[in-house]
Amino acid sequence: MVKKTFKVPDMSCTNCAMKLESLEDTLDGVKEINASYHKLQMTVEYDESRLTDEQIIAAVKKKGYQALPI
Amino acid sequence: MSRNRKSSIDPVILIALGIGFVTIAIVMMVSQSNTYDVNIANNAGGTSQLAVAFITGLTTGGLSCLAVQGGLLASSLAHQIEQDYLEQAAQKKKQRGKKNQPLPRSNSAFPIFLFLIAKIVAYTLLGALLGLVGSYLTLSPATRAILMILIGVFMLGNALRMFNVHPLFRYFSIEPPKFITRYIRRTAKGTDTFTPLFLGALTVFIPCGVTQAMMAAALGTSSMAMGAALMFAFTLGTSPVFFIVAYLTTELGSRLEKLFMRFVAAVVLILGLVTINGGLNVLGSPLSIQNLTRNLLPSNSGRAPVAQAAQSSFAEGEVVLYVQNEGYFPQTISAPAGKNFTLNLVTNQTYSCARDFVIPALDYYELLPDTGTVQVNIPAQEKGNSLFFTCSMGMYTGQIVFE
Repeated sequence: MVKKTFKVPDMSCTNCAMKLESLEDTLDGVKEINASYHKLQMTVEYDESRLTDEQIIAAVKKKGYQALPI
Repeated sequence: MSRNRKSSIDPVILIALGIGFVTIAIVMMVSQSNTYDVNIANNAGGTSQLAVAFITGLTTGGLSCLAVQGGLLASSLAHQIEQDYLEQAAQKKKQRGKKNQPLPRSNSAFPIFLFLIAKIVAYTLLGALLGLVGSYLTLSPATRAILMILIGVFMLGNALRMFNVHPLFRYFSIEPPKFITRYIRRTAKGTDTFTPLFLGALTVFIPCGVTQAMMAAALGTSSMAMGAALMFAFTLGTSPVFFIVAYLTTELGSRLEKLFMRFVAAVVLILGLVTINGGLNVLGSPLSIQNLTRNLLPSNSGRAPVAQAAQSSFAEGEVVLYVQNEGYFPQTISAPAGKNFTLNLVTNQTYSCARDFVIPALDYYELLPDTGTVQVNIPAQEKGNSLFFTCSMGMYTGQIVFE
């Protein structure tokens, strides 16, 4: 398991954080996502043997946001 | 030609019409009842307070609440929107190569309606609870003023957050704890009926600035029935705007939503300033807009006879201040310095919040009868001093200038 933080600059409200956290339920290999509108970032804890950074970024993009690895 | 297409009336139109009719009916009832002085729970100004609450909700509360509670509404709609999207995608696939046929209509109106019903019920219960709590404690005008200023600052911060002015303003948005968002998320996957109902009820935990002001007012009613009625009137008032905006934003897409949120931000910004200004009035601060500009603008135009009547009675050590539905007349009273006098507050079928009379500097607060005279002893003041008076909401103001 690894923990990575991404900058998500286009979050505009707390609901955006909720939307990003919902990837927990759909993205295979994710253990936990903590997104913060205050910090405009999300921390993802995931199994790197099952999921890559690129896949996370793509899933975030699908939700309408841009994720930039920190 | 096949006629198998369902002749459907857009549910949005039906619900919007329903809300519109209820709105008109309530406004008519309130304006009628004002004539006959119907007070709920013996709380003075009951109906006028309800009318103010309703109109506040109708004009400003809806936008302000939407800015704060929009997330919950979006969550409650998420499932429906997803379903609509899948239905439309499937229909498009089927129709590929066929002539134009209408795509299934979006069904976001029903969850919005359920959400709003749950919200009204939850806030009415909250109002009853606040009224009950309020019956055990009394909010002084100064406390209320500070509360108003804090609420105004909160609204201002939220507006600046929406305008993306500085990252600092993001902290004006309250992030609910993770366990709540997880719970909401899991609930949002539930059935279409339960989710909006439940999330609508949850809005009591994230009240917007205007709602918080109304909650403070419900607390101040010191009556369970009046507290419930006040919150009901306010939440009902917020519903049409909430409904229309929520519907439009879900139907018209994110580009329009962004534009609309800018408009909401502008309105919330103005409301924030108005609320802070009201708080300053209730504090008796000379820095409120009315108190700063009063001497610059010609006041009481067309009210000269009233002003003269007020001045002429000074010889007897008494002065009359007419408390009317539109405010206080005259708005400026000139009084001789170094002399006590009696201020006669005269009401005549006055039902507006002008009856909640406050002189902050004297720590004087009185709920005036709708018709009658109440005397206030004004102690001698130094030359050049001003005593500001206002209603308890900081809407109507005036001053006594000592010369």
